[in-house]
Amino acid sequence: MGDKVTIGIAEMSILQQCGTLVTYALGSCIGICLYDPTAKIAAMIHIMLPLNMEAGRTNTMKYADTGIRETLKQMTARGASRNRIVAKIAGGAKMFELSGGTLGNIGLRNVESVRMTLRREEIPLLAEDVGGTVARTLYFDASTGQAIIRSYGRSDKIY
Amino acid sequence: MEIRNYKDLDHLELDILREIGSIGTGNAANSLSALLGQEVRITLPEVRIMGYNEAIEWIGGPELITAGVLVQLEGALNGIMLSVQQLPFANLVLESILGQTVEDYDQLNEMGVSALTEVGNIMISSFVGAISGLASIPLRPTVPAFTIDMQGAILTVPMAIFGGQSDYIMTIGGNFICNQKQVPCRILLSPDILSLNYLLRKLSGENG
Repeated sequence: MGDKVTIGIAEMSILQQCGTLVTYALGSCIGICLYDPTAKIAAMIHIMLPLNMEAGRTNTMKYADTGIRETLKQMTARGASRNRIVAKIAGGAKMFELSGGTLGNIGLRNVESVRMTLRREEIPLLAEDVGGTVARTLYFDASTGQAIIRSYGRSDKIY
Repeated sequence: MEIRNYKDLDHLELDILREIGSIGTGNAANSLSALLGQEVRITLPEVRIMGYNEAIEWIGGPELITAGVLVQLEGALNGIMLSVQQLPFANLVLESILGQTVEDYDQLNEMGVSALTEVGNIMISSFVGAISGLASIPLRPTVPAFTIDMQGAILTVPMAIFGGQSDYIMTIGGNFICNQKQVPCRILLSPDILSLNYLLRKLSGENG
């Protein structure tokens, strides 16, 4: 599997050829894996919110829309081809069922924004494990493009 | 001065918030002590302003499974209150209320879940009651929600809610010592920035 690179909240990393990208404990956040299987360029983003409405747009990786766009730019700069890049996503859960609050469902809005941004950028979404009420840890293998999702009280899922 | 970011808080304002933390956790400790029939003390209450990933490390890593009780505050003060109950604390509660303990959260039955939710709720309510009295503002807490999952995902709930305002999370709260044993149990308040300004104005005696 090679080296393991951890992606924190509102962070992104790119690996080429080998190694594993991992992000822990995705709740309403979403882990987005982008992969060019020919160049074996793999990226993982850990986004927290659906849309970037910050005036300065400093923290691009915090948001689904700017995170995906900026990552695609960096991947192509390293030799990935836009028309080969595919995506797998995990997360967007609702950690607490709160009755009477005004929290809304950030997880669901994140999922919708990720799907919409991928569609606009014409990136095929090959697999998704989203929604529900459980947290997810996401592993992504740069040599194979395989994603593994680990949750509490649930067997691992492989995509 | 109007605060736009948690990092803008000056020493005096941080002291005021520390005082809130102290009174809030003190009240919560009294409730817990009455509930468990044990001596409960608090560690020095903290006001922390942390980056997201720093906060996850501070709570003890992302993947540790914990119980969490969450209450949303609405009204004059918007915020999230969390009671994070790691296994030793959960067992302390279960032992003294139900006379049984568990080796893992998956052994929790319905009674156990109710007990942990109620203890979290009582501690949070005492904390909220203290702030409400101190600042003489009415606060409306929601009914508590309960989950057992990775604590990193539990802590990202307040981060995501206020994430559009700031790249930091602010927590006011403390740790509890029960029967001279330090058990990891945190009670945390994360206010939004607007409410924080209101609260500070109220407590520093200006007309708000």
